[in-house]
Amino acid sequence: MAFELTNHTSKPVTAREKDSSGDSLSPTDTQKDTRFAYIDNQPYEIREGETQLQFIRRNLGQDIVPTLCDAPNLEPFGSCRVCSVDVALQENGAVRTQASCHTPVAPNSYLYPNSDRIQKLRKNIIELVLTDHPLDCLTCEVNNNCELQTVAAKVGVRDVRYPAGKNHLDRKKDLSHPYMTSDMSKCINCSRCVRACDEVQGQFVLSMAGRGFDAHIVKGANQNFFESDCVSCGACAQACPTSAISDVFESKSIANTEKTRTICTYCGVGCNLEVATVNGKVKSIQAPYDAAVNEGHTCLKGRFAFGFYNHPDRLRTPLIRRNGELQPATWDEAYDYIANELTRIKKEHGPDFIAGISSARCTNEENYLMQKFIRAVIGTNNIDSCARVCHSPTALGMQRTFGTGAATNSIIDLKYTDLIMVIGANPTEGHPVTGAKLKQFAMKKPAIVIDPRRTEMARYAKYHLQLRPGTNVALLNMMLYYIIQEGLEDKKFIENRTEGYEEFRQKILALNIDEAEKVTGVNRELVRKAAIAYASAPNAMSFHGLGVTEHTLGTFTVMQIADLAMITGNIGRRGVGVNPLRGQNNVQGAADMGCQPHQGAGYLDVTDPENHKKYEAFYSAKLPDYVGYKIPQMYQAALNDKLKALWLMGEDVVQTDPNTHHVKAALAKLDLIVVQEIFMTETAKLAHVVLPAASFLEKSGTFTNGERRIQRVQQVTEPLEGTKPDGQIMIDIMNRMGYAQKPYHPDWLLAEISQIVPFFAGVKWNELGDNGKQWPVAQDGSDTEILHTDSFKRGKGKFIAAEWRETPEILKNGQEFPYIITTNRELEHYNNGTMTRRTGNVKILTEDVLLLHPDDAARHDIKSGDMVCVISARGKVDIKARVTDEVKPGVMSSTFHFPEIAMNNITSSECDTDALCPEYKVVACTIRKSKGKYKEEQK
Amino acid sequence: MGRKLLLEHANIEGIASYDVYRKNGGYRSVEKALKTMTPDEVVEEVKKSGLRGRGGAGFPTGMKWSFLAKPEGVPRYLLCNADESEPGTFKDRYLMEKIPHLLIEGMITSSFALGANQSYIYIRGEYMYVLRILEKAIAEAYANGWLGKNILGSGYNLDLAVSPGAGAYICGEETALIESLEGKRGNPRIKPPFPAVKGLWGCPTVVNNVETIAAVVPIVNDGGDEYAKIGIGKSTGTKLISASGNIRKPGVYEIELGISVDEFLNSEEWCGGMKNGKRLKACVPGGSSVPILPHFLVTKTAAGEDRLMSYESLADGGFATGSMLGSGGFIVYDEDQCIVRNTWNFTRFYHHESCGQCSPCREGTGWMEKVLHRLEYGHGKMEDIDLLWDIQRKIEGNTICPLGDAAAWPVAAAIRHFREEFEWHVNEPQACMQRNYGLVAEKVFAPASV
Ligand SMILES: Cc1cc2nc3c(=O)[nH]c(=O)nc-3n(C[C@H](O)[C@H](O)[C@H](O)COP(=O)(O)O)c2cc1C
Ligand code: SF4
Ligand code: SF4
Ligand code: SF4
Ligand code: SF4
Ligand code: FES
Repeated sequence: MAFELTNHTSKPVTAREKDSSGDSLSPTDTQKDTRFAYIDNQPYEIREGETQLQFIRRNLGQDIVPTLCDAPNLEPFGSCRVCSVDVALQENGAVRTQASCHTPVAPNSYLYPNSDRIQKLRKNIIELVLTDHPLDCLTCEVNNNCELQTVAAKVGVRDVRYPAGKNHLDRKKDLSHPYMTSDMSKCINCSRCVRACDEVQGQFVLSMAGRGFDAHIVKGANQNFFESDCVSCGACAQACPTSAISDVFESKSIANTEKTRTICTYCGVGCNLEVATVNGKVKSIQAPYDAAVNEGHTCLKGRFAFGFYNHPDRLRTPLIRRNGELQPATWDEAYDYIANELTRIKKEHGPDFIAGISSARCTNEENYLMQKFIRAVIGTNNIDSCARVCHSPTALGMQRTFGTGAATNSIIDLKYTDLIMVIGANPTEGHPVTGAKLKQFAMKKPAIVIDPRRTEMARYAKYHLQLRPGTNVALLNMMLYYIIQEGLEDKKFIENRTEGYEEFRQKILALNIDEAEKVTGVNRELVRKAAIAYASAPNAMSFHGLGVTEHTLGTFTVMQIADLAMITGNIGRRGVGVNPLRGQNNVQGAADMGCQPHQGAGYLDVTDPENHKKYEAFYSAKLPDYVGYKIPQMYQAALNDKLKALWLMGEDVVQTDPNTHHVKAALAKLDLIVVQEIFMTETAKLAHVVLPAASFLEKSGTFTNGERRIQRVQQVTEPLEGTKPDGQIMIDIMNRMGYAQKPYHPDWLLAEISQIVPFFAGVKWNELGDNGKQWPVAQDGSDTEILHTDSFKRGKGKFIAAEWRETPEILKNGQEFPYIITTNRELEHYNNGTMTRRTGNVKILTEDVLLLHPDDAARHDIKSGDMVCVISARGKVDIKARVTDEVKPGVMSSTFHFPEIAMNNITSSECDTDALCPEYKVVACTIRKSKGKYKEEQK
Repeated sequence: MGRKLLLEHANIEGIASYDVYRKNGGYRSVEKALKTMTPDEVVEEVKKSGLRGRGGAGFPTGMKWSFLAKPEGVPRYLLCNADESEPGTFKDRYLMEKIPHLLIEGMITSSFALGANQSYIYIRGEYMYVLRILEKAIAEAYANGWLGKNILGSGYNLDLAVSPGAGAYICGEETALIESLEGKRGNPRIKPPFPAVKGLWGCPTVVNNVETIAAVVPIVNDGGDEYAKIGIGKSTGTKLISASGNIRKPGVYEIELGISVDEFLNSEEWCGGMKNGKRLKACVPGGSSVPILPHFLVTKTAAGEDRLMSYESLADGGFATGSMLGSGGFIVYDEDQCIVRNTWNFTRFYHHESCGQCSPCREGTGWMEKVLHRLEYGHGKMEDIDLLWDIQRKIEGNTICPLGDAAAWPVAAAIRHFREEFEWHVNEPQACMQRNYGLVAEKVFAPASV
């Protein structure tokens, strides 16, 4: 039996200090406790918790010690042993070999990273590995970018002393999946893929089966990629040091590639992408390990769903409606047409008969230009953006309570918090990279999930409060009630930092718990326990999504979330706060840039005389000093003949805004609809002028993610012939209408923005670097991870109590339509799906489905796969059923990614009372089994 | 007759049942510990006894126990390692089968000492019938108030369960055992952190061999000093030896540490000498992982002194001329045995049992097996012997767990002492298929280091 030369006293190193440089000891600390170790007999200072490998690399560079099973975003594993170094207790003393990647560096130890012995050892190990590896490097996809190859070259393996023996070279390739591929004959059993799937994505698809020489990677229950539970995040492919796991885009191949770093266009997480191009064409995408936001991770949208950008369906020429038909035109014709029409309408009706809807998918600079155009050139405040339909209640609610409508903390705070509360959000589908982090958290520490559906997060959460849709306010009141009843308020925080508490407290204590329990359908004891957990965690962070905002009481719910943070003192430091999960990639930015009717760039109230003066001077134009239309009001105005022209930048309101009939009727009344788009969307089909825009890969600018991080989008390829960046289109039209602007470039635009948006004061294009900056950015360029640290933006935090009311949708229609349908989205698709449906994602998720509970299904004799007709007061749709207990009886859920289904035919026009965000999340409906006829009739 | 502390009552009729065990003084150590001692005092006795781990590594048990981290509010665990899968080792099975309550008693007393309220016996899956015996004994212990809540009114609670492995030798390695117990694939963990700090479910954990835990019973009953009087030097107490091979009386014996190898091998009380009057060719004194000794180094050390059955004496001479007590699997080879074949056989085992994480072990054990197979069947070349040497050098000390070492050492020792037999396999490929080489000359092969 073996001696175990174990040193039972040494201290464990748990998590690896990923950014030990960031948290370096202050000079006084180091003086107090300076400890050294030696590399080749030279002394170097040790940092707390450092491994030998980190220590050597920090002092002597990356290349001194080769590694194979180690990866920048994974915990050390210690299996390949190539990183071994000799370690002695005295200078040139007796040595032991230790794997440097996981062994903590001991004070006063002597490391010899490249002794003769070690070099021979490494060479022998690689030689052994090569005995079971096909040596067909020249034709291998990762030739020249293979870690095994590099290490083999570095240690100088020249021949393999073992005659051919049993091997695994005959393993079959797996090409079952639209994106992921594997060729396990190239596998070196380093387990990096397994660990990436476990530690980064938390999906647990991959595992090692078999023992010893028979050890091999299996997917799921020994399935192929397509059959397995793989969510195609690509983390395993990126982690794999060889081509054993890769993707169809061969992202690890280096064939003639150029690399450009940019930001994902798909969601508010704002992942950094490294895009490889060959001869100006996008080849593949990887995630940079040094990205602050995503640390080497992405979801399948960011990594793989770029195929839309040069899809044949892309619009390539301007179109003008002539004789009722959209016909190709030149840019000049299109601009002339628009300029003439706008001038005419402005003259005949006045500027307020024109409105613009900006896009949270475009850059800050483009959004800024859009509102500048509408305000300064047209002369109206009728500017809004799609933030209206998602997070407008967040902005409003947080402004009222804290003074700033943005996430108070950063994603990195997850490393410092003790409990998370996720309200009305399904981050593993909607915000996958942050979702993966939240999921990892929930597997290890307590989480509260408030959601009508048993989402993936809910399955891992300690507390799942599965409420009836539309009762958020009642539920959060219950939580507030129990926190006060249990005496768990943070009295000091309330005293020093807030106002309005006494009145608030009285209102909450007056709550009728019986009624609240009844309407929410959540057991009060469970709510009490969750409330206690939230209030007594040393640091608790809350996250919320559209399940909070897309309700008639959305703004109030946001204020309650703020109340919860304030009453427990969970605000203004690491690991706490209120953190909206922003939907689209630049929702934050669109609002920051002033794409809303009541506030200009930088959230200054347009009715305030001071601000008004300031804006007029800044834009050198006459501006209105009254509030313009919000999106739902625009439709109403059109129906009332109060609006004649609508300009839409990258927005498909027909498919994505609720109650399609209503929207279409409104649009039909307009004289001029201008749509900037990359595809012929449902809205573009109704336009008078369609302008072909460039995609995010074809332009530069900045996106601001959900944690206020302004990041650089960098042009990867030239705009497709015939298209222009949205910003350039805005500039062209401004010039055409006599308001001179320089050609589109984020450099000068940011310089201009920084002079009017206070929290952009120090933002400069050239200084944003790879990881951007989190606003507020001070004049000197320093940025801010945590808001409201010493005081709130509005001075004191304000407690505002909310009272639950049934939504009018239920009051009006609940009798006749007894079921509630709520909309949601799926990982594979983005919004109306115009982009993702033109990528391989569509092979993974092919259609919208309706989730319904087995009880409801039984009542209507519906089985999974049957077509169901869903009828609301507005209309009906046919959709395929999936029977599941993810939803409660009486509640259904569906996505809206595919136009064939057009879910918004049934959604209502009810809106948030204060921010006018539409209520997508509660629709009263009834169902019956159908044969899918309705769908055919429609076609 | 040496003293017996563990197997003293093993042959009493019905000792496996609670009543008989109790009548013969069973569970006294629990009474003594829970009623008259603090946990630290129990640890102190174990320290005084000089008891060393009987699972193979020989690490002082008292010291191991005192390293156990004790953070506030975090449970601690005691795990008994009954995975016993080392070729040549079968003592734990004998003990558990014969006198199961001794292990249960040891578990209770030891768990008390460590402050564990939940303990497990992880038993080799092939020992299913032994598992049943243990489960019956545990049920009896519960029924009689030795397990469960508030044992003997002391306020101390303990639950004990048996968990079977699924047929992997590697699950005897303590961290693989922990992974397996957690329901995962039995891969050894990297260390640090050590189980004493982060073991089962991330909590402080002690893993001890069956025999180690059983030995705590007499230590507590009679005092550590009394125990330490038996044995020699730092090899205190008694040790179970699994004797096998070409001897007249194979079996499990409890010896006082420090008796001479000669006596153990040749006296009637123990192995009874070589079978069929054959000559001794070699001996593996501590289970398949320890270096094999050629006939001239078995009963005498290289310095000519008597070799004793003790940790120190068996290791005398280091790896050049010594071996290890290991788990006490004493395997004896007569002149008719082939060392190349035996080495191949052991290597095949390690190759089969490697978990496959570390590249040197996964690939290296495979290649050693292939090369040895070649040599054994007369297809070997002279370079193969050096290649073997080279591979084992690259495995030893360069792996996550000691299975790598365990696979390397037997190969190293076989080449070191029996190189001429290996060379003969290369030079006389026909002959090696027909007969065996016989004894080797009394010389030690000294390969160039590295
Ligand atoms: C591959 C391998 C297999 C092992 N198998 C066993 C075993 O079956 N039983 C055992 O007690 N120890 C075994 N050990 C040793 C254990 O890791 C551990 O050292 C021992 O259980 C500690 O107990 P002790 O201190 O009481 O000896 C094995 C070690 C290795 C590396
Ligand atoms: S792509 Fe992502 S989810 Fe799929 S196996 Fe790889 S790591 Fe796991
Ligand atoms: S597939 Fe790649 S990452 Fe996974 S074990 Fe094999 S070589 Fe390592
Ligand atoms: S998580 Fe969001 S930002 Fe990141 S890759 Fe996916 S869609 Fe893009
Ligand atoms: S040495 Fe062998 S058995 Fe041990 S961890 Fe490494 S591969 Fe597994
Ligand atoms: S990099 Fe350290 S063992 Fe693989």
